[in-house]
Amino acid sequence: MCRRTDEEPDPGTDRATDAAFSALLEDSPEELYEQAPCGYLSTLMDGTVAKINATLLNWLGLDRETVIGRTRFADLLTVGGKLYHETHFAPLLRMQGQLRGIALEMRAASGDRLPVLVSSTVKHGSGGEPLLIRTTVFDASDRRAYESELLRRRKEAERARAEAEQARAEAERERERAEQALRQAEADRARLTDAIAALQRSLVPSALPAAPGLESAVYYHTASPDRLGGDFYDFFPIDEDRWAFFLGDVCGKGPAAAALTSLTRYTLRAAALHDPEPAHALATLNTVLHEQYTAAGDPRYCTAVFGIIEARADAAPDHRRIRIASGGHPPALLIRAGGKADFVPTPGGLLVGILPDAPFTTAHTTLAPGDTLLLYTDGLTEARTGPTRTSLFGDDALHAFITDRRPAGPQELVTALTGLLQSFGDGLDDDTALLAIGVPETQPTTTTATNTPR
Amino acid sequence: MSPLTTTHHATATGPVLRVGGDLDYEHAPALREHVERVVLTPGQCLTVDLSDLQFCDSSGITALLAARRHTQAAGAALVLAHVPANTLRILAIVGLDQVFTIHPGSGTV
Repeated sequence: MCRRTDEEPDPGTDRATDAAFSALLEDSPEELYEQAPCGYLSTLMDGTVAKINATLLNWLGLDRETVIGRTRFADLLTVGGKLYHETHFAPLLRMQGQLRGIALEMRAASGDRLPVLVSSTVKHGSGGEPLLIRTTVFDASDRRAYESELLRRRKEAERARAEAEQARAEAERERERAEQALRQAEADRARLTDAIAALQRSLVPSALPAAPGLESAVYYHTASPDRLGGDFYDFFPIDEDRWAFFLGDVCGKGPAAAALTSLTRYTLRAAALHDPEPAHALATLNTVLHEQYTAAGDPRYCTAVFGIIEARADAAPDHRRIRIASGGHPPALLIRAGGKADFVPTPGGLLVGILPDAPFTTAHTTLAPGDTLLLYTDGLTEARTGPTRTSLFGDDALHAFITDRRPAGPQELVTALTGLLQSFGDGLDDDTALLAIGVPETQPTTTTATNTPR
Repeated sequence: MSPLTTTHHATATGPVLRVGGDLDYEHAPALREHVERVVLTPGQCLTVDLSDLQFCDSSGITALLAARRHTQAAGAALVLAHVPANTLRILAIVGLDQVFTIHPGSGTV
């Protein structure tokens, strides 16, 4: 069963409710007009205010007496509002008979501006003639504030966007600057590498010259990462019958050692041409280094072996005489054609450059066909060996290594020693130079000069 | 490689500097600095005791030469004591056994 009575309104009850609402809500149309939540005013066709409600008077802070019949609607507006009223509002209203939602600004007695939305309708007489204008005014303060807020927020958003754009552009410029700096750094590094390579080439010859009737070989290992070594060597002619050679080790590493190496090499070359007596050449170098460094309070020195290899007038042309002097340098090793090896004693030699007057003495030996003279720096004999890298390779092990292998000639000797150095791995932590000079067993028509790549 | 150790104490004839470990390119400057700080009066003798020295290369030699200059400047003497055989060999090679005053292995320090 459906309970239909519940769904049908009772006409008697509805009428009673309507009356109760009317009594409760609106006392009278007059009350509604005066206290409505919007402004009302009526003007004559020339704009003179004929009627205005309390709400609008209250908003504007005006008395009814000062307005009715004395003020025109346009007088209630701000200057801008008045202009707009005269040029657009009034003409449009006369043409169209009504206008809706026009935004204007009214001027309160206090001087405050009141943003409003205005709608107007022209009331016509029975003959169609315009009689008066009815106008409603809505307070648009909140809406204006809302619009202002919207505008402000939009401007803020635009500014934030512009700032973000600027920051992005700045970051882009920064990235470009960083890239340019990187390119510059790479170019600088390349230039520095070139400069170091050029400097290094000035410290040791890039290739040994071919000496008639002699064979030579060289190997150079630099431990320093910038490849500026502290070891040096050279092999060059004094005159038709005599060649000079030297090999040594300056104290220290890196650029400072390279400067000392350069001074040492060119001093020895010049000294050799001036007076090719080995002890005298080392004495000249000693004077130069001592004067340049130690006497100036910056003690630097080197060890060096200097020698002259010359033809013997009293023997076959393939026998050579060697005059050799040492300044604090490990002794040279002479490997005879039969494989017997002996250190060449060079007694009395002191480190070059530490004392103003250092004694150097010249020793003599000979080089017969098949003999090889080996000069080396202490990188070879001081290389650390053994599983814990605590023992040093040493002179005896070098002697034994060479005696065992009996290398035939300078190139074979240097190749064998290069392999030995490589077998030291990280036990080889110093610069190492090897220079071998020999008389070929069977006199060749041409000579070989080799520079192992460094 | 072992780190460098330096200790020093005073005796009637002058300070004794005991050096142990590796005297190489990396550690030699520390010995030079230590020696520079030792105060010497004329006539005194600085003894550098090398009995615990493990390794000495050209940088170590330079540090010893610097010690020699420092003592000479102060009018004092320098003695190397307990020089290990290996270092003695190097000193002989470079001719410095003629330059330094070297006390043999087991001298009293």
